[in-house]
Amino acid sequence: MQRSVQPSKTRAWFGPRSSGQWFALPAVLLLGVFLLYPFLDVLRFSTWDWSGLSAPKPIGLDNYRQILQDPDFWKSLSTTLIFALMSLPPFILLSVLLALALEEQPYERQIKALLFLPGLVTLGGAAVAWYTLFSPEYGALAAIVAVPRWDQNVFWALVLVVLFTLWRNIGYGVLVVSARLKAIPKALQEAAAVDGANPAQVFRYITLPLLRPAITFLIVIGTVLSIQSYTAVFLLTRGGPFGGTEVLGYYLYKTGFEIGRLGYAAALTVVILITTLLFALAQARLLREQR
Amino acid sequence: MRWLGHIFVFVVALLVGLPFLWMAYAAFIPPDLIFSGNIFGKFGLSLANFAVLAKDGFWEGFWGRLVFSFLVTGFTTLLQLSTGFLAAYSIREGAKLLPFFLVMLAIPVELLLVPLYGVLQGLHLLDTVWALILPFAASPYIVYLLYQGMRGVPEELLEAARLDGAGHRVLLTQILFPLLRSQLIAAGVLAFAAHWNLVLYPRIVTGEANLKTVQTWITDLQRQNPADWGPLSAAALAATLPLVILYLVYERRIVETFEEGLKG
Repeated sequence: MQRSVQPSKTRAWFGPRSSGQWFALPAVLLLGVFLLYPFLDVLRFSTWDWSGLSAPKPIGLDNYRQILQDPDFWKSLSTTLIFALMSLPPFILLSVLLALALEEQPYERQIKALLFLPGLVTLGGAAVAWYTLFSPEYGALAAIVAVPRWDQNVFWALVLVVLFTLWRNIGYGVLVVSARLKAIPKALQEAAAVDGANPAQVFRYITLPLLRPAITFLIVIGTVLSIQSYTAVFLLTRGGPFGGTEVLGYYLYKTGFEIGRLGYAAALTVVILITTLLFALAQARLLREQR
Repeated sequence: MRWLGHIFVFVVALLVGLPFLWMAYAAFIPPDLIFSGNIFGKFGLSLANFAVLAKDGFWEGFWGRLVFSFLVTGFTTLLQLSTGFLAAYSIREGAKLLPFFLVMLAIPVELLLVPLYGVLQGLHLLDTVWALILPFAASPYIVYLLYQGMRGVPEELLEAARLDGAGHRVLLTQILFPLLRSQLIAAGVLAFAAHWNLVLYPRIVTGEANLKTVQTWITDLQRQNPADWGPLSAAALAATLPLVILYLVYERRIVETFEEGLKG
C-alpha cells in the first residue's frame, strides 16, 4: 500500500509525473563536477604559471603569447595536420569499400565483429603486439622481410602510427557506413538497373550520393579525433624519432606532465579545442556547400 | 567483380587479425628461441613467459595489477550503468535533460587531463583509487545508449504498471531492467573497454605502485625491456584475452546496440 501512496504525495509537490526527474541527479552532478567544470576551468588554469606543486601565479595571457612564439608548438601542429592527412583518406576509403564489399555477404556479421575488436582490446597489449611484430631491430617481421626503420625515419614512424590508428578505428567506420547503406531502399538501385544502368553507374549516381551523410560524418569526426589523438603516439613512438611524431595532444601531455608546466599545457588545451572547433565548422560548411 | 570483393575482405580481415594471431603465438615462444633470434626456424610452445610474470610478488606484479584493474574498472562500469540507467529513466519520465547530455557528449574527455588534474588536486583525490573511479562514474554516452533503448519500450506498458500501483522502484527493477538487459550488457562492455583502455590518465593521477593499472604496468615493462618480448607478449595476451572473450560472448548485442546508437 505504502508504495502507491508515496508517488501521489510527490506528485502533489512537483506536478504530474515530475518526481522521476530527480533520478538524473547523480549523473548530472558527476558530469558537472568532472566534465563540465574542468572544461570551463581550463580557461582559468590557462592564465596561470603553475607546476601543480607550487602555488599558481596569475600571468594573464602570457601563456598564449608564448604559444604563438613556440617553434615546438608550430611543429607539432604541422605534424598533427600531416597525420590527419595521412590517416583520413585511407580511413574513409577503407570504410566505404569494406561496407560495400560486406553488404549481404554470408560472412558479413563475423567480419564486422572482427573489425570492431581492435577498438576494444587492451591498448597496451595491442601496442606490445605491434611493437614486437614491427620493430625493425628485433621484430618478428624483420626476421622475414626488411622492415623500414621507423625508429630512425620520421615518415615511417608516422606510417606506423597511422596504421595502428586505422587498425583500431576501421570497425567503427565500417559500421557507420554500413548502417547508412542498409537504410537505402533496394528498390532505388533495382529501378536504376532496370533502366539500363550498369553496376558502376548505379554506385556513382545512386549509392554514393545517398552515402554522403555517413561520409561527411566520418570526415568531421575523423578530423576531430585525429587532431586530438595522442595515445597511439605515446604507446608506439613516444614522439620520436627526433620529435617527428610529436602530435599536439602528445606535446600537451609532455609539457604538462613531464616538464611540469601545467598552466602552459592548459593554454595548449584551449588552443587545441579552438583548432578542432574551427576545423569541424569549416568542414561542415564546405561539405554542405558541395552538395 | 564479386571475387575481387571476397579477396579484398579477406586480405583486410587477415591483416586486422594478424596482431592477434601474433600476440597469441608470441606469448608461448620459448625464451631461448627469442634470444637466438631464430623465431620461425623452430616451432615450440612453453609457459616460461608466464612464469616470469609472477616473479615480482603478487600484488605489485602483473597478476595483482590485472586483478586490481578488473576490480576498479568493473566497479566503475557498474556505477556508470547505474547512474546512466537512472538518468535515462528520468529523461523517459519527462525530464528535459537530453540536450544537456548531448552537449556533454561533445566534450573531449581525453583533452581534459590538465583541468581534471586540477580538480582532483582541489578535492584531495590525487593518488587515491577514487581518482580512477569518480571522474568516470557517469558517462553521457551510456546515458544516451540506454535512453535509446528505453525509447523503444511502449508507454502503454509503463502506464499499465503505474495503474497497478507500481512506483519508480518497481518500474525500474521489475520492468525496465529486464527489458533493457541486452542494451545494459552492450553498454557495459563498451564502458568497461573504454575505462580499461585509459593509458595516460591513470599514469598522471596515481603514481603509487599499488594503484598502477595493468595498462601502466605493461607500458612500463615495454619501456624498460623492449627487447624481452616473451614476458611482454605473455602479459599482453593475459591482459587482452578476458576482453576478447567478453566481447565474443556478447558480440551480437554489442554491435546491434552500437548501430542503434548511430541511428539517433
